[in-house]
Amino acid sequence: MPKGRPIESIIMTITLKNVSFSYTDSLYDAVIKDLNLEIRSGECVILAGESGCGKTTISKLINGLIPLYQSGTMSGDVLLGDKNTADMTLAEISRYVGSVFQNPRSQFFNIDTDSEIAFGCENLGMDPEEIRERVNRVVKEFHIEHLAGRNIFHLSGGEKQKIACASVSATDPEIFVLDEPSANLDLKSVADLAEIVARWKKAGKTVVVVEHRIHYLRDIADRICYVKEGRIAYEWTPAELEAKGAEYAASLGLRCVNLKQLNEMGDARLRGHDKKGVIAGEAKQSLNEILVFYDLHFAYNRKFPILDIPTLTLPWGQITALIGHNGAGKSTLAQVLCGLCGAWRQKRKVRKYGAYLIMQDVNHQLFTESVLEEVLLGMDPPNEKAALEILVGLNLEQYAYEHPMALSGGQKQRVAIGSGVSSGRDIVVFDEPTSGLDYRQMLAVSATLQKLAASGKTLLVITHDPEFILNCCSNIIRMEHGKIAEQYPLQGNQEKLVQEMTTFSFDCLG
Amino acid sequence: MKLDPRTKLLLTLVANGMIFTAPLAYSILMVLATSILLIFEGKWRFVCAFFFVYLGAGVFFDAVKSLDIGTSGTIIVASLFLIYRIMPGCVVLYYVMTTTKVNEFMAGMSRMHVPNKVTIPLIVMIRFFPTLFDEARDIGHAMQMRGIRLFSLRTLTNPFSILEYRLVPLLVSLTKIADELSIAVVTRGLSPETRRTCIATIGFRVQDVIVFVYCLAVVALLCGITPFSVILEDGP
Amino acid sequence: MSNIRTTGKKSSNTLVRDLVNVGIFAALYVVLAGIAASVGFIPAFIIVSTFMVSLVTSVPLFLFFSKVERPLLCCTLLCGFFGVLMVFTGHGISISAIGIVLGIVSGLCLKVFHKSFMGCFLANVTISFLPSSMMIPLWSSTEEYLAYCSSVCDAAYIAHLNELSSSYWPLIGLFVFGALGAVIGGFIARRMMKKHFERIGLVR
Repeated sequence: MPKGRPIESIIMTITLKNVSFSYTDSLYDAVIKDLNLEIRSGECVILAGESGCGKTTISKLINGLIPLYQSGTMSGDVLLGDKNTADMTLAEISRYVGSVFQNPRSQFFNIDTDSEIAFGCENLGMDPEEIRERVNRVVKEFHIEHLAGRNIFHLSGGEKQKIACASVSATDPEIFVLDEPSANLDLKSVADLAEIVARWKKAGKTVVVVEHRIHYLRDIADRICYVKEGRIAYEWTPAELEAKGAEYAASLGLRCVNLKQLNEMGDARLRGHDKKGVIAGEAKQSLNEILVFYDLHFAYNRKFPILDIPTLTLPWGQITALIGHNGAGKSTLAQVLCGLCGAWRQKRKVRKYGAYLIMQDVNHQLFTESVLEEVLLGMDPPNEKAALEILVGLNLEQYAYEHPMALSGGQKQRVAIGSGVSSGRDIVVFDEPTSGLDYRQMLAVSATLQKLAASGKTLLVITHDPEFILNCCSNIIRMEHGKIAEQYPLQGNQEKLVQEMTTFSFDCLG
Repeated sequence: MKLDPRTKLLLTLVANGMIFTAPLAYSILMVLATSILLIFEGKWRFVCAFFFVYLGAGVFFDAVKSLDIGTSGTIIVASLFLIYRIMPGCVVLYYVMTTTKVNEFMAGMSRMHVPNKVTIPLIVMIRFFPTLFDEARDIGHAMQMRGIRLFSLRTLTNPFSILEYRLVPLLVSLTKIADELSIAVVTRGLSPETRRTCIATIGFRVQDVIVFVYCLAVVALLCGITPFSVILEDGP
Repeated sequence: MSNIRTTGKKSSNTLVRDLVNVGIFAALYVVLAGIAASVGFIPAFIIVSTFMVSLVTSVPLFLFFSKVERPLLCCTLLCGFFGVLMVFTGHGISISAIGIVLGIVSGLCLKVFHKSFMGCFLANVTISFLPSSMMIPLWSSTEEYLAYCSSVCDAAYIAHLNELSSSYWPLIGLFVFGALGAVIGGFIARRMMKKHFERIGLVR
């Protein structure tokens, strides 16, 4: 036990004993099968694995949502220290376990940041004077003085996630459970998150992180548990995993352990293409064919334009990545290109040959009761044969009569792409298509995008994911303060890109 | 200047309860009080804008009254007048909404012995309006890109389809948010049975007493307890 | 395996879920009702506005009914909130009492019929009386309402309003139209539930 901690603080070992769990009535189709896991006090453990392997379920077992909240069938016991979670209430558990979730938007109960940080303490019935002290302490520790007293709805995703961490930290639990906390964040916020986790670990807390993106916890985590089909299949230290190389991690569906390894990967890919002589040759050739947009402006206030781009050139039939910090105006650019905001003159121009936006939350753009109708909806005039062809191109033909919302995340995204293709627009803009995806899903998305580009569409992808850019993009546009800071082809500039996207994250970690 | 949430509750109740049941002069009395409170909060710009619009509208209605504008004109004016009547209530609501924090409100409610079962959904509701508009806007954008418009051949042949396109994605994402929010809230130890504390200090102070007395005085006036009521009724 | 057990049945935790659902659906109900009722700002369409409100809110209400586990409590809270909010926008105290009563009745409908289509349908019709009863002050306190209208509107319109409020038929019309909207909305909602929500897996 580290020095300086109060004597009454308990050493809390998390023990999962022969746990099985299923979301249905019988254990026949269990998500977790006979799992045994022990996490010692003060350890930082990453639960990694492909989507649907049951790692989120394990996190729910630790924070008591199973068996207390989630309906299903369970056998076995989860012990926190010497207490069985089944015998506690969630309010009691919240004293010992603090949880942060994936979606920063939907984990707030309050409107202003101060009350949000105090929320957990208030629920525990602490003395107001003490709560105030704790809030002040946490605000100082997390360096979030600039966020104090703000409206949460005006914060960015990264800032919201910081507030969520601060709020959990204020109740001073022994165990922190984070469920894909980085899924919706940009790399800078991810670096901040890493700093927070490091601080918790230093204070002797137990931290359990469910995550595909391991790179930011490389120096902090004690071990990585690879979950497969509801069991712990492998265990490594981060160094061991890194030593096995990027290909090994990728073959297990994990994202890269060290962003610096990315360079080699990108090189390998481009060299591979060189041999085939497909993309590299095409890139040189089609540089002449470009799409140009003029006068992209948007401002709420004339003095502070959010977007101010005199000319934007997109290479035709290729994938261009749009990078930049939060608030650089990337989403606004996408919306202006799609005719969703801006002056009506811009909008009218765009209606003729504008772009089609695939939103981050694709649930918002699925309207009808079957995949086929979804594609037909935007068509003018509707043509079922053409629609089916589009579906075949997206590997969706077997789902043509399913309800689009009942599909998996990746399939939904492809349905949305299909509706964009059918609308006949030549430019498709993607808003963070790979957030929260594991390696295999990311590859699937980039394959879809490449196919789309090959069929003659021009793609612009807003992304914070360097791995993804190296995988499929051919051009980069970096935005800063509503302007285009630079534009360059990826080929020959891989190192520069990785450098640019990751410098701040290593600064903060160092 | 901070008011107790319970005082604010009384203020809104009195001001808004009067919109349709009392002469205009009473609403104006309430607006004056609220404006002073708003100025104390440093929102004088809002107050100025409001009075500009409100007085302008008053002059406009006065001018229209003597004109003969026909039945359709009258109907339009009457509906505008309805909005005009609601405006004072909106000022009070604006004041309360912008100056009350969620936990203050919760503490005030629990002091009034309102059970948590009522407060929790009430707060979720208040917290949820901004999210609701965000979601609706995103769906609107998606509809726009698809070319689904309120008035088009498709929606005119099947008027319920527009309801379907609007509501189904909205409801799906709302239920998802509801699940995530309730999970986040229970893991943070919120439970209807436990007593919670609150960092916001609430309690009655001098300003609360003043506002209280003022509100009660206005109500007393309305009920015709003092002889001044006759003068006021002649007012507008 | 020795101790297989079902989980998530503890009442206090599902209660929070229900309460959050009430909050969210109440917000949605208020907004939708507000938008639909804005048709009634044109006085000639006042009667149609209740029809619109109950038509538009049927689908969310059906989803709400199928999601909550304590229909009596949740319906009472939902209607109560709407009533209290209407008090705050100037519709008189009576509306909140009406809201609570209607909420209890609709909750009982759901309890008696166990969330079957019949139960949801009746509960929906019951709740549809809520926006209709917002207009009651127009009849119960006619003089005051007309008094301030006469300060601005011309005589013919006042006479029209007076005529409207002196007979009770329009009030009955309001309720009938509201209920009609709920009946049609109920059938649409059933179709939507089958067509969308059951297939998505939101509702069992």
